[in-house]
Amino acid sequence: MIGSSSSVLARRISTTLSRNTLRLRVFSVLLSLVALTAVFTLTTTNFLTLENLKVIAFNASLLTVVACAESLVVITRNLDVSVGSIIGLAGFIAAKFASANPHAGPLIIVVAVGIGLVLGLVNGMAVAYGRVPSIVATLGTLSIFRGITYVAGRGIEVPSGNLPRWMIHGADATVLGVPLVVLFALLIVLVLAFLSRSVPILRRVYAVGSNPGAAVFYGLRANRVVLFAFAVCGALVGLAAFLYISRVGTITVNLGRDWEMMALAAVVLGGVSTTGGSGSILGVLFGALILSTIDNGLVLARAPEFWRMFIQGLAIVGAIALDAGIERRIKAIFRHQRY
Amino acid sequence: MGVEPERLSIRGVSKSFGPVRAVRNVSFSITPGTIHALVGENGAGKSTLVKIITGMQPPDSGEILLDGKVCKFFTPLDARRHGITAVYQDPKLFPHLDVAENIFMGFHPRTTFGLVSKRTMYAEADRMLADLGVKMDPRALLAGRSVAEIQFVEIIRAMCADLRLLILDEPTASLTPAESDRLFVVVDSLKRRGVSVLFISHRLDEVRRIADRVTVMRDGEHIVTAAAAEMTEADMVRRMVGRELTSLFVRGESRTPGAVMLEVKKLSLPGVFENVTMSVRAGEIVGLAGLVGAGRTEIAESIFGIRPPKSGKVVIDNVELKPSNPGQMLRKGVAYIPENRDDNGLLVDLSIASNICLAVLDRLGPLGFISRSAETRFARPFADDFEIKTTSLDAAAGSLSGGNRQKVVLAKWLGTEPKVFILDEPTHGIDIGTKSQVHQRISELAATGYPVLLISSDLPEILAMCDRILVVAAGRIVAEFARGEATQEKVMVAASRGSRSSDAGEERP
Repeated sequence: MIGSSSSVLARRISTTLSRNTLRLRVFSVLLSLVALTAVFTLTTTNFLTLENLKVIAFNASLLTVVACAESLVVITRNLDVSVGSIIGLAGFIAAKFASANPHAGPLIIVVAVGIGLVLGLVNGMAVAYGRVPSIVATLGTLSIFRGITYVAGRGIEVPSGNLPRWMIHGADATVLGVPLVVLFALLIVLVLAFLSRSVPILRRVYAVGSNPGAAVFYGLRANRVVLFAFAVCGALVGLAAFLYISRVGTITVNLGRDWEMMALAAVVLGGVSTTGGSGSILGVLFGALILSTIDNGLVLARAPEFWRMFIQGLAIVGAIALDAGIERRIKAIFRHQRY
Repeated sequence: MGVEPERLSIRGVSKSFGPVRAVRNVSFSITPGTIHALVGENGAGKSTLVKIITGMQPPDSGEILLDGKVCKFFTPLDARRHGITAVYQDPKLFPHLDVAENIFMGFHPRTTFGLVSKRTMYAEADRMLADLGVKMDPRALLAGRSVAEIQFVEIIRAMCADLRLLILDEPTASLTPAESDRLFVVVDSLKRRGVSVLFISHRLDEVRRIADRVTVMRDGEHIVTAAAAEMTEADMVRRMVGRELTSLFVRGESRTPGAVMLEVKKLSLPGVFENVTMSVRAGEIVGLAGLVGAGRTEIAESIFGIRPPKSGKVVIDNVELKPSNPGQMLRKGVAYIPENRDDNGLLVDLSIASNICLAVLDRLGPLGFISRSAETRFARPFADDFEIKTTSLDAAAGSLSGGNRQKVVLAKWLGTEPKVFILDEPTHGIDIGTKSQVHQRISELAATGYPVLLISSDLPEILAMCDRILVVAAGRIVAEFARGEATQEKVMVAASRGSRSSDAGEERP
């Protein structure tokens, strides 16, 4: 291209910038995690204790699984705001099943994951084949899934005492001091992080989100890929629902309410682009950790509930604004090179 | 036909969209290992034909033979599997992924476990890039590559699947001359490997330069297929438009320009352009020539206040000021018509009338309320004057062809009664017939006393239209030519000499 030496330099810098933007973005998330830790350590008395860190990790583990599931959908340029209701329906039905069949064993997991998968497929079908914008479709299923849960529950709750022993014990078990649930969630996330870089279909998830118009020229059936993302999201959320019910005292029909907000917050905090195509699973892990840290710190600091919601909302808007800024910069560089 | 069958034979292919017969009974053949140019005005049916060849659309009738065998493709992927790939103007790639993944998406090399084999992928990508003589890091993100590099990625991708026919749709439209040269080298090496290339371009000089054979289409019909050596540019143009056209539109006798209406004094924006000084008189058309990326658009955007300059002044009709935002410059009477009509100049979903009225909304009704009829009343004379071809002014602007869209944009600005026109690539991507209409319109603007600053990469256009030509290179005005003394060679030499010294590393070896 043509330009003075200064513009060549500018271009070199900008190329490096755009190449490293994702890395920078994840780094900034890590940095804010460190900063938050410092703030809470200084302002509260028992934040940086092994016991409290265990609590944070425990809380973050479920959120991480749900957020990673959500991120797959977001990477395809879609949103799934029904994940909270999927947790509710999958979790409640699995709990009812478990209390009715105390010797069902791992079949309970199959039930939870299976229901999640089916609900994810419903979302995916509506978006990929029904051509309903994902936010509208999943806003609808948010109500529908919750409504079904109410009907199935008929006002009844499932006390955790009715669940099989192994589930209750499993939730409390630790390995070398680390809760089993945390290890399980970490395993899921690490496997997903690895697969997201090396399984062809997951690479297609990125491709479709990056440029849906180009997908057809690559023989990628975009609607299949989107359906796949929603289905995997649903199944993973179903798995999270199983982990969730083994932990809470009483399983009500309101299980998982407002989780869609937390999951989305973790996703955007973790640097997944809401315009699709980019984002890393590890970033989402950090996003979930930040949210859980804030939550925990505010509780320790005895801040009112309002602040929790305020900061969560602020984090979402702030992260998206930051990403929009980065995207704008990349596009400006792109345009400068083009013309 | 000889012993070897033709690479691609198109036999009696027709395609209609409702009442529009886009392609009518077209037949011609492409020989293996040749570069076959396809030329024609916009709407001549080239794009439809490409869509039929690549399986995006089925033909109504007729058949296509690939290497002597009848083929029917149902998707572009299907065509690709048979060795036919098209590279389009707008890249069909994934900006968030790296170069190698863009090449292999859809058929990643796999390990025995079915996972993506990254080592094979990057090694293969490296080998293929080197093979074509392209220097690029396969691990670099696609976002940030130049348009030319992006095209190379598409070509390399195409080569993965036993490429037999490569279709290039207006590949050089947004390339610099140096990048075009690089592309032609690549195309040539494909040709030597026996790949056939169907090359679609509006730039007839390029067609003459690289094509072996040329097919001309007009109104969906096949007009002629001949050896490129046997056809001059004038021959091609005559057959494209179906009437004699001695050359492009040429402005009449030179007039005596009036007072200086636009003066630019030492305008600078460090890193983009430096010390730009020029003036445009009433009734004068001043051309800004130069290579793509030289900074011409940036200078224009600066005068219009989109990129406020760091230092320097702009004088409009004897009022001196420093541009700071487009609203200010609009009020001072600057009309800037940007290059990318659809992104920057036109609201494609709004009606033609609404688009024409867009810049004068406050004048259309009491208390800022606008009525449809007032819009139409205001827009009508402009639409008539500009001969905008449409059934109704209520039709969406997006339904118009490129040339007519450009007319709507011109009409919109004329409605603001500006003092100065700045036109950036006004005929980019417009067919020759409409082009000369736009030229006529621009010269009428000048004839009625408007000063016009015309930015164009099309040298014949600059030479035909402008009273004076300023050559921009690397952000500076490096030469000025009067109408009589400018030639394509002189302008080109000035444009490339000014830039090459400082940026030699980016040029083609």
